[in-house]
Amino acid sequence: MLKKKVRATGGIIIPPLNGQPQKIADAETIEVPVPAGEPPLWDVYTRPQVVGQPIPRIDGPIKVTGRARYTYDQLPAGLLHAVLVRSAHPHARLLSVDIAPAQKMPGVRAVIRLDSPDLMRASAASAAGNPEQAAAIRQAASHSQKSKTMLFVGDEIAAVAADTLEQAEDAARAIRIEYESLPFVTDVAAARQPDAPRVHAGQDNIRPLPSPHGPDGDRGDVHEGLAQADAVIETRYETNVAMQNALEPHGSVAWWDAPNHLTVWASTQGIFGFRGDLAHFFQMPASQVRVITDYLGGGFGAKFGAGIYGIAAAWLARETRAPVKLMLDRKAENLAVGNRPSSHQQLRLGAKKDGTLTAIEVVNFGTPGIGHGAGAGAASRRFYLCPNVSQRDHDVATNLGPAAAFRAPGWPQGAFALEQAMDELADKLQLDPLELRQKNYWDKPFKALRIQYEIGAARFGWRRRAQIAASNRNSGPVKRGLGMATSCWPTFGRPPAQARVVVHSDGAVEVTVGCQDIGGGMRMIAAQVTAEEFGLRPHQVRVHIGDTQPGIYGPASGGSVTTTSVAPAIRAAAYDARQKLLAAIAPRLGAAPESLRLRGGKLLGAPRALSFASACRLLRHATISAEADRAQNYEPHLTEMHGAQFAEVEVDTETGRIRVVKITAVHDCGRSMNRLLVESQVNGGIIMGLSYALLEGRVVDHPTGHVMNSNLDFYKLAGTREIPELDVVILDAIDPRGNNLDVKGIGEPVIVPTAAAIGNAVAHALGGLHIRELPMTPDRVLNALAAVRA
Amino acid sequence: MSQRKRESNANELSRRGFLKGAGLGAGAVATGVMTPAETLLAAEKKDEIRGPGELAVTLRVNGRRHRLQVEPRVTLLDALRDRLGVTGPKKVCDHGECGACTVLLDGRPVYACMNLAADVAARNLPVETVENLGTPEHLNTLQQEWVRQDASQCGFCTSGFIMAATALLRDTPHPSPEQVREQLSGNLCRCGTYPKIFAAVEAAARRGPGSA
Repeated sequence: MLKKKVRATGGIIIPPLNGQPQKIADAETIEVPVPAGEPPLWDVYTRPQVVGQPIPRIDGPIKVTGRARYTYDQLPAGLLHAVLVRSAHPHARLLSVDIAPAQKMPGVRAVIRLDSPDLMRASAASAAGNPEQAAAIRQAASHSQKSKTMLFVGDEIAAVAADTLEQAEDAARAIRIEYESLPFVTDVAAARQPDAPRVHAGQDNIRPLPSPHGPDGDRGDVHEGLAQADAVIETRYETNVAMQNALEPHGSVAWWDAPNHLTVWASTQGIFGFRGDLAHFFQMPASQVRVITDYLGGGFGAKFGAGIYGIAAAWLARETRAPVKLMLDRKAENLAVGNRPSSHQQLRLGAKKDGTLTAIEVVNFGTPGIGHGAGAGAASRRFYLCPNVSQRDHDVATNLGPAAAFRAPGWPQGAFALEQAMDELADKLQLDPLELRQKNYWDKPFKALRIQYEIGAARFGWRRRAQIAASNRNSGPVKRGLGMATSCWPTFGRPPAQARVVVHSDGAVEVTVGCQDIGGGMRMIAAQVTAEEFGLRPHQVRVHIGDTQPGIYGPASGGSVTTTSVAPAIRAAAYDARQKLLAAIAPRLGAAPESLRLRGGKLLGAPRALSFASACRLLRHATISAEADRAQNYEPHLTEMHGAQFAEVEVDTETGRIRVVKITAVHDCGRSMNRLLVESQVNGGIIMGLSYALLEGRVVDHPTGHVMNSNLDFYKLAGTREIPELDVVILDAIDPRGNNLDVKGIGEPVIVPTAAAIGNAVAHALGGLHIRELPMTPDRVLNALAAVRA
Repeated sequence: MSQRKRESNANELSRRGFLKGAGLGAGAVATGVMTPAETLLAAEKKDEIRGPGELAVTLRVNGRRHRLQVEPRVTLLDALRDRLGVTGPKKVCDHGECGACTVLLDGRPVYACMNLAADVAARNLPVETVENLGTPEHLNTLQQEWVRQDASQCGFCTSGFIMAATALLRDTPHPSPEQVREQLSGNLCRCGTYPKIFAAVEAAARRGPGSA
């Protein structure tokens, strides 16, 4: 593609702090290869009027009045309610599944079996319009009795649709299931034993995960690095399985509005992926499936595909010729649709006397249940400039529900271990923990971390550490501690993503994107970016989002890519539409298009100023429409997003209770699109991280293989009483090598360091005693204290 | 007093109390013929056994009377959402653990999932949901501040939080920060929006009810 070199200046914009005006640090001018068709570049000196402003989101009013209709709220006429029947055993063969009693129950419209691959294939064939083929498969299946093996408590067996939810639940209970129990294992240590029951037939329970090599991966020689070290520490940390608990459960409302057209409201983070899964299952063209996610009640990584629940809803809708709602209950949410894997990490760190790291080695075993992907992220590889790094991750299969991506998959686990190991190393070297990190700072273009360390330390009062440690010696049972940790998350935003902007002759401006707003505020960002180009206010822009029907593609919301991928496409489309609009109306004003400007709701530069709406009326009956694709990142390798979090805690050494008093967080996401939204995400990441650190942990009864806290009563989430004082600073780290808005993501980097910062603060309070397991519950604190005293 | 405690006091027949009562009374009343729902209704209306089939009841919701048919086991939440289309209150845990379904019952905040529709109707108690506050075009003070502070991210907890906060501000127009945290402690937000929720409630309190 044709590219031209454009000069642009990057740098770190520091907002006004402590009475100081806004400053630009580390400004550097570079040449950027920009593809043809991109709008004019923005750089560190650009002062957008609407983008970046802390304007309340446009969908606020509909949310605070209860009018926002989520998937769970859809009530099409004739709606049926469906529930799933799940395995009560952690590992079992199904000897028989008798659905006949359920079929006779009042109000029941359909019962389907989900335990047989043959029956599912038959349904797909039937839906695809091959009744003969379907009948043949069904016939064969009825003889073979082939049924999938149940691998965990909560594995899907059948689904029921009925007139009311209560009737569906009654019918589900009437299905008779005979199990043949098989040996199972749910404890990770037990699953690692050579004679442990096999979770997946014929496969080892332990599966090593691939390690990337290269500058951002494994590198050098760890043994050599350790040999060169003046100080070596060897340590271990463990993290528990954490459950997602987005408030709106997984589920969908499906109906066939024509024999060959399926429309689905889905609680999903990826409407196009959901569409693809359904099209694949029913063997139909993807364009004949429409997936809508107007409002989503939270998604943290576990809501990508259609899942069995999504297929079952569409299948039941097919059987009943009616709309079917199938939303999971809270128990199923916690058993079957994803969690953050555990980790058991052993680390060795080596450093020179002055703190220069010579080696980082991590060996990790975690359980993804019956799923995969229990790696501990890449903190070891990305945080510090260390020449010798090795991380060996292993999945340990257990008879429990599958893991899923969960906000910065793997990284909070990895950071919890690495960042506490760094503090242990600092202790051994008698260095300040922050200095140790600054010593190993990895310089990269337009990277904000050095400044984030400085600002965070100053605002937080990091210098109080020594004095607090001294006063702890003479204090009562409650000890105070300060700790900090580093954050990093790669920039994954990229094509494909599209946007369409339409300007009507009445002055209405519409923008259509194919992503979904999972709560981060993409609706608002779309409005702001569009409004910027037209000199309008965001509330004057109509946003269409979360619908596959217009054929405008958007990515799944994962990896902190939504804004980074989609917003630059919006700006490109809006810029193009504006150029077309000015070109169309300029002749009617007797002006040159280049002389016209749109600002403050007005058209300027013409012989007379016009309101935007009056200017659009010059289009008469025509409309302006422009579509744009997200350009490739201008340079392939972009600097990650970074952050530093500082935690102050109180630890009651008599009760073991930890109270987080304050967290100071300094982050960046390239150019922030809206400070209110970014702050909300930072708050949310910290609070989720705090919850993970102190409260959250799946409890499994290993003799029975059942999860004991698959609810919100005994699975604890942080509530109003756990919220510390939060001090959030957002820097704009302007990196002009990425995209036309210099934007990066924020959802994930903000949860990465929190548990580690709290852990380090607890260790500071306890004179260097680290609590090695998550969550850091009072019993663990008391046990650790008792072990030291013994 | 936390909302959870408040809820069990406010309702003689909350779902939790219902289950407990049914269990305790089982030896005396249940003979294997009556379901817990029947037992309970029988205990309340000594000489009349109703259910387990649907009952004709009248619910007073947001100032309007709605006649509907519900089985005795149907919760107030499911009646509101599935039968009346009042979907502001959200179903998250269905077990009185999260507060997303909070409504005002006779002015007091309760979990709609922990109350039975037939019982609420029998006691003729008025139900107020988030739909009864301001509209998107005319937000009330609390809702305005909620938007201004960005106190909703995904928004699924918002309806419940706003009703709990509404009850607080009606009772205690100028709550302390501690009272705000206490009164909202029966509600959970997974996006972690709490600091902005506190800010919104405190800002609304400063402006007072008259400034809407």
